[in-house]
Amino acid sequence: MTEVTDAVGPAGRPSGPAARYDELIQPRRVHGSLYTSPEIFADELQQIWYRTWVYVGHVSEIAEPNDYVRKSIGPQDVIMTRTADGEVHLLLNRCAHRGNLVCEADAGNSSSFRCPYHGWTYRNNGDMLGYPFHQGYGGRNKLELGLGRVPRVGVYQGFVFGSFAEDGPTLEQHLGEAKGEIDRLVRLAPEGEIELSAGFLKHRARANWKLLAENETDGYHPQFVHASIFSVAESGIGALYGEKSTAVTRALGNGHSENDLRPEFRRLGVPLGWFGTTEEKVPNYVKAMRDRHGDSGAEEVLIEGAPHVMIFPNLFIAEIQLFAIQPLAADLTVQHVTAVQFKSAPEMNKRMLQQCVGSVGPAGMLLADDTEMYERNQAGVAELRPEWLDVRRGVDREEIDERGLTIGGATDETGMRGFWSHYKHLMTEGRVR
Amino acid sequence: MNISPDIVGNEFAEVSIRIDDEANSRRLRVEDLKTGRVRFLDALELETIVWLPEGNLRRLLDPSSDRWREDA
Repeated sequence: MTEVTDAVGPAGRPSGPAARYDELIQPRRVHGSLYTSPEIFADELQQIWYRTWVYVGHVSEIAEPNDYVRKSIGPQDVIMTRTADGEVHLLLNRCAHRGNLVCEADAGNSSSFRCPYHGWTYRNNGDMLGYPFHQGYGGRNKLELGLGRVPRVGVYQGFVFGSFAEDGPTLEQHLGEAKGEIDRLVRLAPEGEIELSAGFLKHRARANWKLLAENETDGYHPQFVHASIFSVAESGIGALYGEKSTAVTRALGNGHSENDLRPEFRRLGVPLGWFGTTEEKVPNYVKAMRDRHGDSGAEEVLIEGAPHVMIFPNLFIAEIQLFAIQPLAADLTVQHVTAVQFKSAPEMNKRMLQQCVGSVGPAGMLLADDTEMYERNQAGVAELRPEWLDVRRGVDREEIDERGLTIGGATDETGMRGFWSHYKHLMTEGRVR
Repeated sequence: MNISPDIVGNEFAEVSIRIDDEANSRRLRVEDLKTGRVRFLDALELETIVWLPEGNLRRLLDPSSDRWREDA
């Protein structure tokens, strides 16, 4: 293939919003500068993170009236609150007076927030309550300055998303085919509700956020990167991502993608096989599932297991773990990680927490393996030659499934190509000028 | 008889509360731990707070309504 280096400038390093994304993103390769350029990162914040729907948190994290938690949309510090009447709000953590942070704690319960700098006070829906010594402003109620708000808040199955765009696609339109994957997770909970109550770990990676997002449904790497843990744990996960696997990688549209492992689990036909356990070890959970879904329904749900889905741009559900990707700079990203918990399923919750800690906890193996790769990738991609990263794996053997979605083999880069296609759309035709 | 205090706090305020039995009937003793200021609330006052409409409570939360007043 001919190198097209002159298309993107003398050193192949474009800059600014004028970056020619249509040339930097090609069907079989993407340009290295997309991962390293601070100007492109700034452009992404405007065109993606401050515009599309971004996952923020889950309603179970603010279960009680007046609960709040500090979250983020990219570098933006967002407070997710529940008011006394039950509404969920996403507020910007910035006093309307002099810009001080109004909220320091990661979580708490309060009907109002008081800025420590000059005592300006706000309700937990963002409305201003008042300011001390009001005569300096001509009296009480003379200012109408509230906290900044994320203009649109959407909730799907308890997952809270925010969008800085006043209008545009609805959350349900954005989620599209990915909704079904969230549904698959939720239907594994005996009461049809999940809870994010296990607490979060924050993992910092010296790498671009897109390397993380791409990797989440890359079925090509597990047998290499995670070989040691699969071997030690005598895990069958590696085989799910082998050349003989009947699993598929699916581009779900809008940049979402999944590794659909159901064909393999159906072939094996073992309830809870996807979770590495047996029905005998969690009898109360299995009974609750049979009560809810019926014997055959429960059998199907328990065999098919949980989704492995990357929801653009930042929510990754890896079966029983949930990751929120937070970009902070072109080469700095934080992954917020927690174990999924099912409402009223203590047997499963304990096991899911243990598995989560073992795989992505501070001494866990999987995320440590992946993070090492992200950081090696970032170091390498900053090298000047060759300029491109290859994403062609499986491009000539993709098929369209019965839903009209593109699928590739278990190890193909179909998900990545779907990611880049949507990214390119947002950064070119879909951009706000 | 004094029962040991409990603390209700978040990053915005911190108060200790306890039931006080020194008076002729029980009352709630509330102490602002940032300033040491104490208020006793009798049963009727507490009942009133329970029934206070949200808007009235909100007005009390205006920092210039009673605490940080220029004319006080």
